[in-house]
Amino acid sequence: MCTRAVCGLAHYLEREGIPTTLIGAIRDHVALLRPPRALVVPFELGRPFGAPDAPEFQRRVLRDVLALLERTDGPILVDFPDGPPAPQAGLECWTPPPDLACPERAPRDPVELTAAVRSEIARLRPLRDRWVRDHGSRRFDRLTGLDLDRIVALIVAYTRDQSIANPLPQYGLDRTVKFATDDLKHFYYQAALSRPGRITDIELDDWFFGSTLSGEMLLRLRAALLASDDPNLQRFGETSFVPSHQAHRQPSQ
Amino acid sequence: MYLSDMPEPWRSRLVNQPMPEFDGTPCAGGPPLEDRRISLITTAGLHLHGDRPFIPGRADWRVIPDDADLAELVTSHLATNFDRIGMMSDINTVFPIDRLRELVAAGTVGATAARHFGFMGSTPPTAYADSIKALADDMKHDGVGGVVLAGV
Repeated sequence: MCTRAVCGLAHYLEREGIPTTLIGAIRDHVALLRPPRALVVPFELGRPFGAPDAPEFQRRVLRDVLALLERTDGPILVDFPDGPPAPQAGLECWTPPPDLACPERAPRDPVELTAAVRSEIARLRPLRDRWVRDHGSRRFDRLTGLDLDRIVALIVAYTRDQSIANPLPQYGLDRTVKFATDDLKHFYYQAALSRPGRITDIELDDWFFGSTLSGEMLLRLRAALLASDDPNLQRFGETSFVPSHQAHRQPSQ
Repeated sequence: MYLSDMPEPWRSRLVNQPMPEFDGTPCAGGPPLEDRRISLITTAGLHLHGDRPFIPGRADWRVIPDDADLAELVTSHLATNFDRIGMMSDINTVFPIDRLRELVAAGTVGATAARHFGFMGSTPPTAYADSIKALADDMKHDGVGGVVLAGV
């Protein structure tokens, strides 16, 4: 979707006289929408500059997309010739955080599930704190401002009743729940990323949805919404929490 | 994930989503790069912690000041189907502000703009057809000579 977005925004900004150049990952969209200047990159979705912690490579991509600004013979489509840099040697093997409960044993009782997930979070907190410390205090797990104990209670309650009180009434309840699940996932991602080794986003979600109680909790949330009579809730459940490469997973019985 | 790794039907939904139509392709000119002030646009749903999260359907954007503390950036992008490890580990993977500053220091680029901008790329671009003029006016006020849009 973002390739479509940057192409459209480039057209509108150029109409107002602002020169633009863009990076897109979906070549067909760039070719169809014909923005003024575009560099199409063969990178993962979510990585327009190729890879993290690869300043030389990022600088090369930026230099290439900037160079297009000096041309006025648009629409220009240039393919970046290389894939992202290979991971550093010795960082191939990621090992998951140890000593977590098996998601198949996630309690059915909401009170017990809430306690079990909170316990899992407590086990992971030192790892997440280490990651934050090692990354300049950057935190992606604070959209809602709610603490994770409250977030877990909110998700468990919403799974059972989609008309509960909204702790953040400035948003719709669905947005509050979406932001809360993002805070939860980002907490887990940060904890997992503190472990040494290279991991892809698919492997990270394999771990989260396949090996944690929080992942099981979100699978149950999705299942509850998909079983709703309300098509809006069904759509919300289908797209908001579980990425497409984890959509095959069902909650444990 | 790579687009090729996305399972069906999600991949087809993404590739075959409705596309806007544009009459022609305006292509504004300008001075050499070393004399231009550059602003960045990221569609990763980035904004400062404490700013309003993105709400689907609202055609708005968030200001990221050039001197913003990068540790204060968060994302409220609604999509689940793109890699977040990259930007969590190194914000330059989606918002290359450090790389841009290096090119300014090297004399390749004139300057960084006073303001950069976060968008949420799931919003259909036609929703911005009318509102984008206000953004362009802000950019003209800042003396922006070029914009790099980075889609995720």
